[in-house]
Amino acid sequence: MTTLRAFTCDDLFKFNNINLDPLTETYGIPFYLQYLAHWPEYFIVAEAPGGELMGYIMGKAEGSVTRDEWHGHVTALSVAPEFRRLGLAAKLMEMLEEISERKGGFFVDLFVRVSNQVAVNMYKQLGYSVYRTVLEYYSASNGEPDEDAYDMRKALSRDTEKKSIIPLPHPVRPEDIE
Amino acid sequence: MAARGHVQDPNDRRLRPIYDYLDNGNNKMAIQQADKLLKKHKDLHCAKVLKAIGLQRTGKQDEAFTLAQEVAVLEPTDDNSLQALTILYREMHRPELVTKLYEAAVRKVPTSEEYHSHLFMAYARVGEYKKMQQAGMALYKIVPKNPYYFWSVMSLVMQAISAQDEKLSQTMFLPLAERMVEKMVKEEKIEAEAEVQLYFMILERLGKYVEALEVVQGPLGEKLTSELQSRENKCMMLYRRLERWAECNALSCKLLLKNPDDWQFYILYFDSLFYLIDQSWAPPQEGAHSAEGEVHASTAQAISFMEDRIVTEEAKESKHLRGPYLARLELIRRLRERSCPEAQQLGEPLELMFQFFVKFGDKPCCITDLEIFLDLFTPDQHVQFINRLMEAVPLGAPGEDGVALPGDTRALQRHLCVTQLSRSLGQQHALNTEGKLGLIKELKAHYRHGLQFGKSCLKTELQFSDMYCLMAAHVYIDLWLETGDQNMLWQCLGLLEEGLSHSSSNAQFNFPYPLYIYMFPISSWRHLILNFKEYLLTRYAESLGQFAAASQSCNFSLRFFHSNQKDTSEYIIQAYKYGAFEKIPEFIAFRNRLNHSLHFAQARTERMLLDLFLEADTSSPLEESVKSMSLCPEEDDIPWDSLRDNRDLTVLVSWNPKDRQLNEEHKQHSLEDDTLWLRLRSLTLRLIGCVSALTHPPTSRNSEKTTENGVAAKPSSLQSLLSQLENTLNQATQFTEKQLQYPFVGPVPSRLAQALSSGCCQCQLSSLQLPLHLQELETAGLDESTELQTQISNLFKSLAVQLQDMLEKCKGDLLEVKDDQSKPQQFLLENLVYFVETVCIVLWVSNYCGSVLRPLKSSLQKKKKKKKEVSTVTPPVLSAYQEFSSSLQSLLNQALEHIKSQEISLTALKLGALSLEGQTQSEVRTFTKTAMDKVQSSYLRSLQEIGELLKKRADTLKSLKI
Repeated sequence: MTTLRAFTCDDLFKFNNINLDPLTETYGIPFYLQYLAHWPEYFIVAEAPGGELMGYIMGKAEGSVTRDEWHGHVTALSVAPEFRRLGLAAKLMEMLEEISERKGGFFVDLFVRVSNQVAVNMYKQLGYSVYRTVLEYYSASNGEPDEDAYDMRKALSRDTEKKSIIPLPHPVRPEDIE
Repeated sequence: MAARGHVQDPNDRRLRPIYDYLDNGNNKMAIQQADKLLKKHKDLHCAKVLKAIGLQRTGKQDEAFTLAQEVAVLEPTDDNSLQALTILYREMHRPELVTKLYEAAVRKVPTSEEYHSHLFMAYARVGEYKKMQQAGMALYKIVPKNPYYFWSVMSLVMQAISAQDEKLSQTMFLPLAERMVEKMVKEEKIEAEAEVQLYFMILERLGKYVEALEVVQGPLGEKLTSELQSRENKCMMLYRRLERWAECNALSCKLLLKNPDDWQFYILYFDSLFYLIDQSWAPPQEGAHSAEGEVHASTAQAISFMEDRIVTEEAKESKHLRGPYLARLELIRRLRERSCPEAQQLGEPLELMFQFFVKFGDKPCCITDLEIFLDLFTPDQHVQFINRLMEAVPLGAPGEDGVALPGDTRALQRHLCVTQLSRSLGQQHALNTEGKLGLIKELKAHYRHGLQFGKSCLKTELQFSDMYCLMAAHVYIDLWLETGDQNMLWQCLGLLEEGLSHSSSNAQFNFPYPLYIYMFPISSWRHLILNFKEYLLTRYAESLGQFAAASQSCNFSLRFFHSNQKDTSEYIIQAYKYGAFEKIPEFIAFRNRLNHSLHFAQARTERMLLDLFLEADTSSPLEESVKSMSLCPEEDDIPWDSLRDNRDLTVLVSWNPKDRQLNEEHKQHSLEDDTLWLRLRSLTLRLIGCVSALTHPPTSRNSEKTTENGVAAKPSSLQSLLSQLENTLNQATQFTEKQLQYPFVGPVPSRLAQALSSGCCQCQLSSLQLPLHLQELETAGLDESTELQTQISNLFKSLAVQLQDMLEKCKGDLLEVKDDQSKPQQFLLENLVYFVETVCIVLWVSNYCGSVLRPLKSSLQKKKKKKKEVSTVTPPVLSAYQEFSSSLQSLLNQALEHIKSQEISLTALKLGALSLEGQTQSEVRTFTKTAMDKVQSSYLRSLQEIGELLKKRADTLKSLKI
């Protein structure tokens, strides 16, 4: 019971109810504009019949094709509290995966706070697995320590042997990831 | 900023250290290093530019500019110099100079793809669409790559969009763009999706929907693959424009079969259905119904389509979608609107909504889903509906307090939903005081009971029962507004504190309610992207006299808006590069929306006023302050006719019934309210600029420069600004007489009403009128101006009286204790702030008066000495002025004393000792006490800041002597 459509600049004026969530990053305007300019198809918003914004996903395609690393990336995914437990995040992820399939990506990946168990479990249910741990990926704020991230991946159909998701044996540092 | 990668170039090696210093922010060393290099290599232009960057970044703009121009006139063609100059000009906010730079470069190196492309981007940065079109074409001629050709086409479209003359767009720019694309189509040179998108955009803007449809459905349309359902969405839009309802209907059907939860297609399905019914559409004798397949053109078909969707949904074992059920309710609504008896075939809304609740009542969105269909009920069904829903809420046996509680989170959510619906139906508002208090008790019980389910919740998660707490706070506010009982307010604030203590990341507990009463640090707030927070903060911090906090939030907003102005053009350029053509007009509209933001203008104006009130004539002279903010009295830089209200009021949760919700009238009224206040403030600001210019007229020697800085005020502008201020004040008075109340969860009233009632607007106007008369006196001299002098003397007297009246309105206890209860009277603080602001203005005006009267007095004394007269008569204007300055002195003393006594009594006040009616639990008392402490310390902070400012002002009184 949702209208799924492309995210537009004007949505930036009314997506506060989603971004009030403490785990949802509010970036500066340039960050959103960059995604809208480069990967508009990867920025999708869900709208309720009453016009409230329910949630959104923002992503991109990146990586080298020759090294089999061309993939879709989830930069932000958030659903407002009152629209949770409806499978909306799963729906948005499905769309991002579909777009990445069409672009010929090998996999889809995302970063998530190790402590964000709710999200980690959801991604696992959606078929994602931890590919590697990135140490101190999230920098400290409000006096809390730096936090590690899981880099989670799901192979797309192009990666027939699912080579892209074989977990790395050791954690990596943020500067080692491309 | 890295040097470009021609490793062999020895110059690169030489420049490297300077780049490094600049990159590391070591500008001083960069300048030194550049100087060293320039001694050896005089012709290394880039070193000069890098030095200029260093100078620019250390605040030496003029030097930097001169140095840069030395290089620019040579029309450099080396990458290093060009790039460095581009960076410098961008930092100087002079993007137009970059275009000159590359115009020269392409003239000298006409075959350079790189320079042509830089030139194109430089034009894009300043929005020179026509030149972009030419630059794009020039590029394509050098290097026939498709993107360059389409950059040129897009620039034509931008000329069409920005043209004032719609006819010119439709008959020249767009057709030309269309022909350019058609040429490529004919030559079969179309390569990319972006090119097809652009073609589509052009046809759409030309209103050539049939042609657009052919493109989308034809071979070119096959390129539209990035966006999901791109072709379908485009076709749908065109069907609607073309009013091809049969196709619209058939396509919606198809898409709904694919995704029965996509609301937009239900709406289109119903819209098209009823158009077809009204047109008595009939299927063709043979062949397909439409290009998109089967069409539904009767109520019966629609009903059976809805029922089929539900049957399909019911057959699923899990994960039922809400779409089909809600669509059925929507169809009932539409059939009823058309008085179709068939509506009944779909069922009774009450029963259907009950079934919906049974299925989805444990989802938090159930309230938003059902809320929009509540108008399907007659008022007498409301109680029945709520009772029916309660049947489906599993609660335990009532406890001692008679409250039955849920056993798990699902039951809790169901109960919460019914409670929310009951509020939406107005049932809570209909309760009497006793009923409301009972309700609060019940809500609190549910809230506290529900906390047990969230014991393992992380700090970042909300508590399951948070909404009960918020709703109880809302009911307290209802009671407070109805009865004026302060205790309700304290309880509300205490309850919000309690909520915060269990759920620190729930922003709803933080704002906006407490702000109405007091200021508190907001570092805990989530950063909201478009300044709603700053908007509220500036509004309240300033009116409550917390100037530091107000400045801070103004600064935050201004930084945001300024960086937006700069950044947006970069993303417009990116959109060209990546071929996201449809985003370009969107970005430009977005930039305008932000630039015309009401809050931007407010922050600009208030920031300048604050600076003046806080600093001018205490830490630096008024004219310095005016000059440093480039304040020009003649110039009005606020786009009054296109001010945009960008506040996101949806962020505030409420479940009020429809007639108590925010509506368009409120929004309009609030915009008008804020705009009027802004107009008053902006006029006041410009008038202060006038007073400054009068007091310190630019001397002829450097008059040119001062005019450039905008402080030269013509007397005529004083007159005209004054009459504008007077008119605006009249409008404002009429406006506040309307007394429209906003819903509590809605826009906040501007400071206008309180400012008017404090008397400050009138008093400021009176004082700002004085300079006009003194100018006259300056010309007339003392000897033959008796009438004028009397007039001025009377103005002084009346001003003193007005100020005294204002001060009287500040007196009283900020926290009034009566019958063992305390009542916050923040309006007294607001009045005090207006008093102080007015005093600042009066002092600046008096300073000007002094500067006029002083030479008059001394020439009078000289005359007396010459004539050796022992005259005892002082001209009336001089004695009136002196009298006025001494009454100012006594006023300020009174005010300072009042502030001091308030500080003492506030500090001594033991709020916790007051009885807190109805609060027996000690824990609850603690929360209310926390709230009281916050109010108390907030008021103390306000008094301190106001007192400090007033003291500083009192110190300047000496300079008024003549």
